[in-house]
Order: sequence, then structure tokens, then C-alpha cells
Amino acid sequence: MKKLVGQVTPEEKNEIQTLFERRNGLNELAKILTADNTDLYEKLVKDMGETGSKFQNWWDTMAKKYQWESAKNGNWEINFETCEIFLVTPEN
Amino acid sequence: MLQYLVILLDDTSVAYCHAENPLRERNLIPLDTLKKAILFGMKENLMIQYVYPDYDLPEEYNEVIESIDHVKIGRDVAVYSEVPKSIAAENAVLRLSIADFIAKQYDIAAILPQVTRLNICLTDTETFKDEQAEDYKKALATFNAVLINQYKAGKQPQLNILTDRLQLKEMHNCGAGDSNITIAPNGKFYLCPAFYYDEKMGISNRLNHHKPSSERSVGNLETGLQISNPQLLKLDHAPLCRICDAYHCNRCIWLNQKVTWDNNTPSHQQCIIAHLERNAARDLQQQLKAAGFSAGEEIKSIDYLDPFDVREQF
Amino acid sequence: MIVKETRKAWQKGSAKSITFIVTKDCQLACKYCYLVGKNEKERMPWEVAKTAIDYILNHENDANFAYESVIWDFIGGEPFLEIDLIDKICDYIKTELYRRNHHWFNSYRFSFSTNGINYDSEKVQRFIEKNKKHLSIGITIDGTERKHDLNRVYKKTERGSYADVVRNIPLWLEQFPGDGTKVTISSADIPYICESVLHLYDLGIHQVNINCVFEDVWRDGDDKLFENQLMQLADAIIDRDLYKDYACSFFSENMGKPMDCQLQNQNWCGAGRMLAIDAAGNFYPCTRFAQYSLRDKEAWIIGNIYDGIDQNKLRPFLTLDRCTQSTPECVNCEVAEGCAWCQGENFDAAQTHTVYERATAICKMHKARVRANNYYWNKLYRKLELEGKREEFEANRKTNNGVVC
Repeated sequence: MKKLVGQVTPEEKNEIQTLFERRNGLNELAKILTADNTDLYEKLVKDMGETGSKFQNWWDTMAKKYQWESAKNGNWEINFETCEIFLVTPEN
Repeated sequence: MLQYLVILLDDTSVAYCHAENPLRERNLIPLDTLKKAILFGMKENLMIQYVYPDYDLPEEYNEVIESIDHVKIGRDVAVYSEVPKSIAAENAVLRLSIADFIAKQYDIAAILPQVTRLNICLTDTETFKDEQAEDYKKALATFNAVLINQYKAGKQPQLNILTDRLQLKEMHNCGAGDSNITIAPNGKFYLCPAFYYDEKMGISNRLNHHKPSSERSVGNLETGLQISNPQLLKLDHAPLCRICDAYHCNRCIWLNQKVTWDNNTPSHQQCIIAHLERNAARDLQQQLKAAGFSAGEEIKSIDYLDPFDVREQF
Repeated sequence: MIVKETRKAWQKGSAKSITFIVTKDCQLACKYCYLVGKNEKERMPWEVAKTAIDYILNHENDANFAYESVIWDFIGGEPFLEIDLIDKICDYIKTELYRRNHHWFNSYRFSFSTNGINYDSEKVQRFIEKNKKHLSIGITIDGTERKHDLNRVYKKTERGSYADVVRNIPLWLEQFPGDGTKVTISSADIPYICESVLHLYDLGIHQVNINCVFEDVWRDGDDKLFENQLMQLADAIIDRDLYKDYACSFFSENMGKPMDCQLQNQNWCGAGRMLAIDAAGNFYPCTRFAQYSLRDKEAWIIGNIYDGIDQNKLRPFLTLDRCTQSTPECVNCEVAEGCAWCQGENFDAAQTHTVYERATAICKMHKARVRANNYYWNKLYRKLELEGKREEFEANRKTNNGVVC
């Protein structure tokens, strides 16, 4: 089930969209980068950790700021076109 | 609307604008063709401009030439390809490379007071580099100093690249195919002499890849003028030029086609040069006003040199 | 937390589109194909691709590349014939974007328009798996078997390709559920438009981007036939309630009205804002200006990977507006809105060497489309109002991506 629970500003949306894109980019880069490319590999590993933290931090900060409704086993989703936040819960 | 008919009397007629005339073999316009060209001009109510070669024409030509009011380019209007020591004609065209224009600015300044009107025409506009802008500005300032002194001496000097802009309230450009048309010795029409030279030199017109051709004519004296896409020669169909106030700019159609491949679009170089001149004309205007002269409508201060940078974007 | 991304019109307007013409070869010889110079010889060498990428990434701050995002587009011929090269290119792009800290690392896509024949090959599938989050792949399927095979035939045998494409549609839709297909209509296809769009819906394709070719191929009476087909399609979509979940680019509310030369003067086409690169390393304002796309004109080359871009050759494109290139009839047209053009076809068909002469071969087809489109919306809105579902429709309506080239 999907329920609209809030909306973020376009600037806030841009922030998470960039992190989302970066995380995808890093994940796909990780598939082709090998440890023998030492400098880039180390940079990538560090970056993946940092980007993951920033990503989580965005959701924590926004959830606190907007006090979105939550649910057990539920997830929040963002729509990049509308900046809307949805609560998605498993169908029973 | 067509106003002028340029008649090239010979293949070696003097080059008087941006394009060099690379043709070296004499090929005099047949007398019958000349008569037909004059008749066309009379019927269309066009002012005729004969372009002369450097040799004397046969006597029978002179009689035909004099049968209509006209201007003689290469005779009444003297054309120079290097800076002369002195100029006898009242009107002169000085064709120079950018490097010579900058290097010989003081020689040019010296002959400026000798003529009523001097048209300076750069022969390698398309090679202008942004780094040359400062030197170009300095040369224009050199001429401004001479012009101011002439005004102060009670004269009305005319140097196309500086004084024309003072008088103009709207675009006054080359007008090839729009306000003027050229007849070559082969009896065919061309937008301007440069297109005839290109055809004779076999330079592809890029019109049709599968049938390579240097054909550039836009009609002939038998069938009349046939200009394709004539609207693209007009100001209102030139997105950059119609928003521009470098009113004196040549807006050379031939250079447009050569450098940007579209008749209605000027190159960056053409725009930069025209705006350096426009801004120098503004300096001249301010100096003239400070000296108590009336010097036309105020030329505004602008912060660009290429209207492409401030173009309309939708 | 989940971040869901919509797949429609990614970063529309703020993305630079860079097209690699990786090959001029294709398994097919589609009868309406505008590529007149296809061949098996011009395959992009790796060194050319690498030099092109280096040039582009070295110029991150140039006006030509000052876009937030980038779409790396691969075109042919059939691009997937060069899957090994494409794989190498994409790996290099990803690595270089990251190594250089280039801002496009945070915003890029790899885009493909394929005939779908070798979509299920091991190499293509491995590539998809590797780059899934950054891919946009469109498979071209023209509709029913008879409509598809009318044009989309193998180059030597002239056998129709429908069966070889349709078998890959389920896999493609599973991997890219929201993606649409591109359908091209020329004169001979008109009788099959309605059945074809409905067939594509039946296959599970929810977005059908469809357009008439811009070339001068239309015969007397084609507009009437076209209008009738679109009206049949309108009836089917509305009567079967397909409008709720499916979209067809022929029907759009934003079309068929007069346009203002001050307020609505933008160029339709993005030529000049895009960049295409061929096997020789030449740059073009769009692939349609490369020699293999042109019937009558010499290629409009704006530079190359070694010497860079000649800005003067781009100026006519970057100053183009709608009204300056249009005929007075087009400027004053009562149904101008939504009428499309292709800058490359305009150039190819022009009387002189210009991109400022708008080809109007499509005029009567556009007018027929407008009439059918008006019918569609009048019928749909009346039905929704009678059923009291207008508001619900507005809230959930599908949009389409408009005309594609």
C-alpha cells in the first residue's frame, strides 16, 4: 500500500537525487574497478561509505524535520518529479 | 528592395570589398551583355555601379557606359590594396589585412585628412583572434584622434568604420541580393562579386553533395533574377543582426556563408570587429559632444562584443 | 528507505546529449529509414571513441558542455552490433568521470535505440546487468506483424523481422517496465496504425511514441486515411478504457492551436545543442547532419575530436527560432501547435545551404492529426463527465513524451 505522507522542497529533493545518482554510479563503478587500480579503488571504497552515510543522514534529518507518518515494515519513497514522500507498506 | 546594380566590366575588375579577386585573365563583358545589363538596371530603376579593371576599355564601351547615370568603382572611387603615400580621389577604398591595419595605423591616419570619404575594408575578417582586440581598439583610437582634429578644423570627415555609425539609426549593411545585385561578364546575376569569383575558382557551393558544383548564380539577363530563400538575406530573418545596433556593420553575406555556412548568420569574428568599431564610434561621439559638436543619437554603453552572447533564447 | 525514479524524459532540458555513431551497419534495411549511406565499413575504432571522450571531459567548463547532466547515446545502424566497443566506452566513461571528479558522475545515462534483434544475446545482457541503473533502452517494434514486416525487413533476404523482435519484448519490459517504443509511419503504413498501437498495448508496452516521417513521401488522400485510422484508434482507446493506463503520442492536449511568435518562438529540434561523433572522429550538431543521413547535401561537420568544435559552424543552430525558419503559412497557421520538424530533414530538403528553411511535407498529416486529436479529447471528456470521472482522470492521467525523432 502506498500513502502520501508529505513533501520536501525542490532543493531537498535535488540533494537526495544527487546522492541517489552518486550511489548508483559508485555501485556500478565497483563492478569494473579492481584492487590493482589502487588509488581509484581506495577512493571508491571511501566514497561508498561516505555517500551511504550522507544518504541515510538525509532521510533521518528530513523525517525529523517533517515528522512523516511511519509504520512497522514500512518504507518511505520519494517521487523525484513531484518531491512527494510516500509511505509504502506491504500488502496483507 | 533592389536599389543598386553592380556591373563587373571584366573578370579582372578591381576587388573593392572583403573578397579578393583571384581572377587574373582578362575577360571583358561583351558589349551586348553590357547593354542588356544597363537596360535591366533602367527598367528596374537601379543605380548602376561599374567596376573597372586596371586597363582602359575600348572606346565603344565608354559610349555605352555613359548612357546612364552611374558610379565608377576603380575610377571615381579609388581602390587601394596597400596604404598609399597620398590619395588624389575624394572617395577611396582601402583594402587591408588585419595585421596591416594595425601595423600601418599611423600611415592611414596620415592620409585620412586627404579624402572626403575613406572606406576601410578588411580582407581577412574571418581570421581575427580575440587577442587582437586590444590592438584593434588602439588603432581605432588613433583614427578617432585624427577625426576629432578634423571636426575641430571645420571639416566633415568620413571614415566608414567610425563615422558611419554616428549618422545611422538603423542597420545599413552590405545588402547583397537585397538592396544590390551583381552582373558578371557572363551575363549572370550573383549576390555579389565574391560569389562570381568562387564560381570561377571552382569552390564548391556545398549545395548538393551528389552533384558537386560551384554554380553560384542567381539568374541571368535572359530569364531574370531567381534568388532562392531571398528572405534569408533580409535583416528580419537574421536572429543575431536584428537585435544588434552595430548599424554600420557590413554584415557580409558572402562571409556569413563562407564561415558559418548560413547566409543569415554572421561569424563571431565579424561581430567582434563590428562591435569594437561601434564602441570606438561611441568614444568618438562622446569626445565630439564634449567639444560642442552635435554627433547623432546617443550610442549606448553595452557590455558585450558578440550579440550571440545576449541572443534571444526561447 | 527507497528512492524511486521515474523513467520518463530524464533530466529533460538540462542534459547534454552526446551520440556515438558506433557503426553504420544494421541487420535490417527498413524501407522508411532516412539513413541513405549505411555500410559495413564505418565502425568506430576504440581510439576514436577514447579521444572523443577525453576531448569532451577535458572541456567540462565550456559552454558546449555546461549542462547538469549527460546522456551518452549510442546509435547505428544497429548499436548493439558493436556491444564490445560500447561496453569498453561505457567502462571508460564511468572510470574517467570518477577519476576526474567530473560533475556528470552524479548525473549520467547511457541511451540506446535498438531494433531489438540481439537484445537477448549474452553480451548485451551482461552489459545491461552491469549498467542497469544508468540505462535507457528503446526497442523499436512497429506494431502488428504485417505492419512491422512491411518496412522492417532484413537487408539481404527482405524477410520481416517481427518474430525476432517480439520474442525479446517480454524480457525488455521485465528489465525496463516503463519504457516506450518508437513507431514510425510512412505512407504505406497508414492502414495499420490502429491495429498496431493496440497490438503494442497488448504486448504490455504502455507508452507508444509514434510519428509520421518528415520526408516528402505523402500521397494524395493519405491525410484522410490517416485521420480515419486515428479516429478508429481514439474510439478503441476510449471505449476500452485504455486511456487510464496507456499513452500514445498521437493524442496530446497541447496541440492544434495557433502560436505566438513572441511567446512561443522556441525551436522544435535540439540540433546544435546535441553532439554526434562518427567513426572518423568528426563532430555533428546531430546525427542527421552526418553524411549517411543526407540525400542531397554535404555533411555539416562542426569540428572533430582533434581540433575541437568550430563555434561558427554552430551559430546558425544556436540562434534558430521557430518563426524565422517558418513559412508565412506556418507562422499564421491556425493549428500550428504540435507541428514538428526535423532540422536535418529541413536542411536536406532546403533550396539553399541553410537550416532556416522549414520543410512542410508533413503539413497535411499534421492537420489530419489535429482533427483526430480534437475528436479524441472531445469524446474522452464527454465520457468522463457523463461518468463523473473527470477529476479522477486529471489526477491520474498518463503523460506522453511527445514527438520523437
